[in-house]
Amino acid sequence: MSKLNSNAYKIALVGNPNVGKSVIFGLLTGKYVTVSNYPGTTVEVTRGVCHGLDGGVEVVDTPGANSLIPLSEDECVARDMLLEENNKHVVQVVDAKNLRRGLLITTQLAEMGLPVVITLNMWDELLDKGMNIDVNVLQEKLNIPVIKTIATHRVGISALFSSIPNAKVPNLHIHYGTLIEEGISKIEKLLQGKTVVYGRALAIMLLSGDNSLEEKLRQELSDHVIDEVQRIRVNIQEHFSSPLSYAINIKRANYVDALIEGVVSTLKKEKETHPALRKIFFYFLVPLASFFMGYKLMALVLYLISSRLAFSSMTMSVIPCIVGCASSLWFSLNFSIKEFKTKSTVTEVLGRITMHPVAAFPLLFIILWIVYKLVGEFGAGTCVDFFEEKIFGRSSMPSGGFDVSIYIPFAQKTYVLTHVNFQGFNYYFGLLAQKVVNKDNIIFELFFNEQSGLVQVGLTYAIAIVFPIVGFFFLAFGIMEDSGYLPRLAVMVDKVFKRIGLNGKAVLPMVLGLGCDTMATLTTRILNTKKERIIATLLLALAVPCSAQLGVISSVLGRVSGIYFAIYVVVICSQLLLVGYLSSKVLPGAPSDFLMEIPPFRMPKLSNIFIKTFYRIHWFLKEAVPLFMLGTLALFVATKAGILSFVERMGAPITQNFLGLPAETTHGFILGFLRRDYGAVSIFKTLEEKGGSGGIDPKQLLVSLVVITLFIPCFANFLVMIKEQGTKNAFLMFAFILPYAVLIGGILRVILHQFS
Amino acid sequence: MTEPSQEEILELIWTIDEENGEVERNSLIKKIPLPSAEQILNSLIQEDYVIISDSKVALTKKGLANARLVIRRHRLAERLLNDVLDVKEDAMDSSACKFEHILDEEVTTSICTLLGHPVTCPHGKAIPAGECCEKANKEIRPVVMPLSDLKSGDEAKIAYIVTKYHGRLDRLSSMGLLPGVKIHLHQRQPTYVIQMGETQIALDTAIARDIYVRLI
Repeated sequence: MSKLNSNAYKIALVGNPNVGKSVIFGLLTGKYVTVSNYPGTTVEVTRGVCHGLDGGVEVVDTPGANSLIPLSEDECVARDMLLEENNKHVVQVVDAKNLRRGLLITTQLAEMGLPVVITLNMWDELLDKGMNIDVNVLQEKLNIPVIKTIATHRVGISALFSSIPNAKVPNLHIHYGTLIEEGISKIEKLLQGKTVVYGRALAIMLLSGDNSLEEKLRQELSDHVIDEVQRIRVNIQEHFSSPLSYAINIKRANYVDALIEGVVSTLKKEKETHPALRKIFFYFLVPLASFFMGYKLMALVLYLISSRLAFSSMTMSVIPCIVGCASSLWFSLNFSIKEFKTKSTVTEVLGRITMHPVAAFPLLFIILWIVYKLVGEFGAGTCVDFFEEKIFGRSSMPSGGFDVSIYIPFAQKTYVLTHVNFQGFNYYFGLLAQKVVNKDNIIFELFFNEQSGLVQVGLTYAIAIVFPIVGFFFLAFGIMEDSGYLPRLAVMVDKVFKRIGLNGKAVLPMVLGLGCDTMATLTTRILNTKKERIIATLLLALAVPCSAQLGVISSVLGRVSGIYFAIYVVVICSQLLLVGYLSSKVLPGAPSDFLMEIPPFRMPKLSNIFIKTFYRIHWFLKEAVPLFMLGTLALFVATKAGILSFVERMGAPITQNFLGLPAETTHGFILGFLRRDYGAVSIFKTLEEKGGSGGIDPKQLLVSLVVITLFIPCFANFLVMIKEQGTKNAFLMFAFILPYAVLIGGILRVILHQFS
Repeated sequence: MTEPSQEEILELIWTIDEENGEVERNSLIKKIPLPSAEQILNSLIQEDYVIISDSKVALTKKGLANARLVIRRHRLAERLLNDVLDVKEDAMDSSACKFEHILDEEVTTSICTLLGHPVTCPHGKAIPAGECCEKANKEIRPVVMPLSDLKSGDEAKIAYIVTKYHGRLDRLSSMGLLPGVKIHLHQRQPTYVIQMGETQIALDTAIARDIYVRLI
């Protein structure tokens, strides 16, 4: 770290949600923070150093806030930062398209007496909309520097750089009406000389009924003062029919409306997509995509029922074609033609389709299918096989090497270029280790034991299995996030999520959970209420399988029968809804409002997606891999000390009598505490051995996979639950999930038995 | 003008007709709780409100129009007593019987408008529509209505926000959703999506019901 100029000011980045504060932070400091096209991604204050300004200035990134009178935890974080730290220059990031909303915050900054520079970010999108802002007039009116920027393309950043030292207190003075003004000056007098920021701002916040601020001030001021403040507020409130905060907000909005009069103008026509591109999109891509969707859906249905009914291969291909044509026709007639007439750009139309009450569902299906192909088939299948079998291999056996080859898709030919005679890391490490210790030595076992060796299982597992799956999932997730699809998905699922005590906003942690439950549990912080955070954490632990696990389960079940995989999905989804519904009834607290900004649909920037994926994988390797190792070590110790076999004996009667599974599968369930998917593999192998020549019993497999899915996903996830929800809540959830998972397995067994 | 006692009989004929479709003269007289039932019925026949053929009683055109108004007043009164004044059922029935004779056209219209042109009485029977109801039907939508009543594609201005929840009001107003702001409703399903300036905002039904807008 360079020398920090201790006398210098700090720079605080402030602004509405999703205006690009994190991008600008990255440009000022060279430090990466997760940038996303989803409002409320930053939940904590991030600090960095900006070099080049007076020998290094500290820069603070804050969560997005619509108001400095906080209504949520992240807004509270932003406000506290502004109140607490001395000597700041504020860089207020404003979405140029939404100047009005930005200026609502500027008025509050002015009241706090803070020097401000405004950057009108996303200037390109403003121009695309055919709007313009007269920056000179705005600069004059506010009496502060106003800079145009396009942060994602680094446009205007140097101008911003040089303007920061010139920050001034904005020239904004709102008169809130005699009654409120009287209250403000009374409270200001009470607070005089006792606080860092300008008293007027505090007085207005207190009049607005800011409870969190009152709590904070209680530590500094005597109760007498606080009581007096409350008395003043109640007195003034009597003269108003609406809450004071509302009256204050209206004054503020009116002031800003008058201010931007003549500053924002609409120039000419909006930017349009090229006509040829539009034609291709509407008359070619849309029908094609809808044909594909109908075809795939019907093929899936046929696949699911084909185990019951015998179809000729002819029927199997003709029926989906017919359905595909029908859906293509329907879509073109109902949607394409109508939208073609409007002047909207293709991205706008795409943005609309993704929220359309009917069209959004097929689109969701296509997206899920693509994600499945990428993550499930390529990541979890091809890549995992290659890494696990060939690159890592086994200590006891050479892997046999692999071919480097070129596959030509349409000619269906494979050319082998060369054979790589690499026998796998574990094999070589094993050989190396044997030079030092004997194969039966406990130290060798600690690292290379087939069931619980640190290298053979722990490291191989983390890198060869989880890494490719999670990596590809994060890539897909990054694209969904940056294109603006996720917030639209939030719109789609809000109604369902309301039923389970959450709202649409929870879509981010829930979908992320399909990648990694541990990371998702950390992001539950973006939810508004404590109740929602508890429910989301519980549901993630109970019923959202992570990508590693889904990969294993879909390949295991898919090999047995399509219909069983369908039953699996239905059972898990129903548990998600049922437990969510019940906990929303049991837990105290009102449901929170779903009020969310939908960012524009954008072409995602590939570089940002790659950087983001890189940082997520980096996080994963840093945080999760050591925990895998720890878990494996615990398993090794437990095996050697005989604890494992003891617990196995204890659990065996339940697995045998209640779940109807062979006693040996207990071992798999115990493994499931450490890693759900790992346990799933173990159970599969046991059942395969037991089944012998008759093959595996799909019912047994289904029951065991359901139970293990409902278990807590992994050791790492449990630790994060403790961190986020406290030890007591985490153990309560654990105590609920464990018997519940077994209970559902038992019920499922009985139901399956009835139907066979 | 008809006497209250005549109105009672007209009302009775209407209701029996509504239930059975046919009115027997003798059973009608039995149902009239007045000693002078026959006399009043005869006066109705003389004044051309009612005709009797084959011992079946039927309303003439004039009688039908009159009975319709009586029924309308009675059932609107029931609604008023039940919905607004929260009067118990027994008291509601007897008071409604008095109301139907004393309400004039103007007051009836006011009550009907106040109640939002109801179509059924608390017992589930149809309330005959008056002029005001038809007018309201033609105008289709009131001037100010909750955002949840807008159709997708509508442009509107926020008139006022009424909510029980303080936090909701603060959240809306800090986003800039305040009276006077122009909005455009993109879609109603699965969740409301509105456009305010260049910001698209999704909000759920509970919030949409609290925001009152004026169509433009």
